[in-house]
Amino acid sequence: MSNENRVIVVGAGPAGSSTAMGALRAGAAVTIIDRKTNVGIPVQCGEAIGKTGPGLAEINVPDESIRASVRGFRVYSPGQITVDYAEKEPSGYIVDRRVFDKELFARATEAGADSLLGARVLDITRSNGVVTGVIVRHDGRRNTLKAKVVIGADGVNSQIARLTGLRKSYKPADIDSCFAYEMANSELEVTDLMEFLLGNEVSPRGYIWIFPKGNGRANVGIGIGGTVKTKTAKEYLDHFLKHHDVAKRQLSQAKVIETRVGALPVCGPNKKNVVDGALLVGDSAGHVHPITGGGMGYAMVCGNIAGRVAAECIMKEQVSAKHLQKYEDEWRKIYGSEFEQSLKLRELILKTDDATLDKLAGIVTGESIVRMTAGKKVKIFMKAMATGDKHLIALMNELRKLRMV
Amino acid sequence: MPPTTTTKKSTKKLADIDGELCGVCQACATVCPVNAIEVTESYLIVIPEKCTGCGVCVTVCPVGAITLIER
Ligand SMILES: Cc1cc2nc3c(=O)[nH]c(=O)nc-3n(C[C@H](O)[C@H](O)[C@H](O)COP(=O)(O)OP(=O)(O)OC[C@H]3O[C@@H](n4cnc5c(N)ncnc54)[C@H](O)[C@@H]3O)c2cc1C
Ligand code: SF4
Ligand code: SF4
Repeated sequence: MSNENRVIVVGAGPAGSSTAMGALRAGAAVTIIDRKTNVGIPVQCGEAIGKTGPGLAEINVPDESIRASVRGFRVYSPGQITVDYAEKEPSGYIVDRRVFDKELFARATEAGADSLLGARVLDITRSNGVVTGVIVRHDGRRNTLKAKVVIGADGVNSQIARLTGLRKSYKPADIDSCFAYEMANSELEVTDLMEFLLGNEVSPRGYIWIFPKGNGRANVGIGIGGTVKTKTAKEYLDHFLKHHDVAKRQLSQAKVIETRVGALPVCGPNKKNVVDGALLVGDSAGHVHPITGGGMGYAMVCGNIAGRVAAECIMKEQVSAKHLQKYEDEWRKIYGSEFEQSLKLRELILKTDDATLDKLAGIVTGESIVRMTAGKKVKIFMKAMATGDKHLIALMNELRKLRMV
Repeated sequence: MPPTTTTKKSTKKLADIDGELCGVCQACATVCPVNAIEVTESYLIVIPEKCTGCGVCVTVCPVGAITLIER
């Protein structure tokens, strides 16, 4: 395997495979390395991906992975007041990640990527401070693989992020601890909306999700703040399934067909994702929506950019951080403000008590909030003011600062 | 039992992962301040020489698979 114009991509998840595609299209040679021997397994995801957001029109969700289409979401406030956000046409999919990841990986391989599975990256090599390759453990042996650019697409627990110094360990407050079931025989009231349940009782510092997966299947999961000590994520979810009205109505006959665990970074992107000879994409870059926990779309769109920029830099024989910076600039142009806004909104939701969330839901419920025209924003704002509730008014003023009402 | 003043009780603890409960989500490893948890294809290894027994990993585990044990 020659290292001439080669990119090493560590991780064969959606970020890694999309990065590989981007680099191949721009003319680089690619090797994808993964510690797993079966890509996409175990599934650690709610499997929802948008199709209409920024950048998403350019990505290819493999048809064979699509299980259901959704038009938006329904949020249950802590006191179970519902707010629907439903578009006329499908705006996203629930996919099967097992098929999704495998298909993206297969496509990258078919497009020319080499792969090394069952190979765990232990370290990186450097020359004059520039990253020049990785050291892997494969078949019981340590091997060094050289590349012009090393790309860390190795997920939430990225070793490339740690080894390059781009990120240290997360603080518990920066991640959500997740537990989920895939269930059969569900009786969902809406099969084209994703459902989210908020509230300190059901899921402190996080939410419960119920996603329709077609044919009575549903993904039911929970993310709680990493600092929550009262119960584990699994205990919260099991309690919900047994005792909560929403679960009793829709999931009393449902049976578990798969169990999932996971960790979600919810503190936004790393400050920096490039060093000389290396960069980060996907979860390893912190590219996860701080409120919804979605990361697949960012992984694919930003991965594609990362691969292309890495290849372009290699062709120009300029792989320093200064040149790889083009990747940072490009993804920030698409998603920079989205991350900033949602981080602020996350902080706001976290500090709002359940009673105030209920009052807000009471005002918004029944409104069609898909297209928030200026007039509609004013109407909702005025309704809130009319309540005279000082917590709600404070919340509305904060939301106004974020231009949400 | 009266406290003994002569024996110095070791407060050194070590994270212990129940492999049957663990689903390899890596939540623990992402928050470990000293990178003491290594993830292989299908299981985790706590490196005793690195682990300081701080317990940060215990809280984030979604299934409660980690306990601190005496060394
Ligand atoms: C419970 C849960 C629910 C979620 N729900 C959704 C959702 O509904 N929609 C959505 O869009 N996102 C969701 N996400 C987030 C989404 O799963 C991630 O953002 C996405 O998987 C990120 O892709 P990635 O390629 O960056 O990382 P990953 O998919 O994690 O892939 C990383 C790869 O790197 C490999 N690797 C790691 N370390 C090494 C190493 N040292 N050497 C070699 N290989 C290594 C791993 O084996 C893995 O294959 C959810 C996450 C969780 C935890
Ligand atoms: S106890 Fe602390 S040092 Fe030991 S594995 Fe857990 S987080 Fe790491
Ligand atoms: S947090 Fe718990 S389930 Fe996840 S990898 Fe660590 S021990 Fe396993």
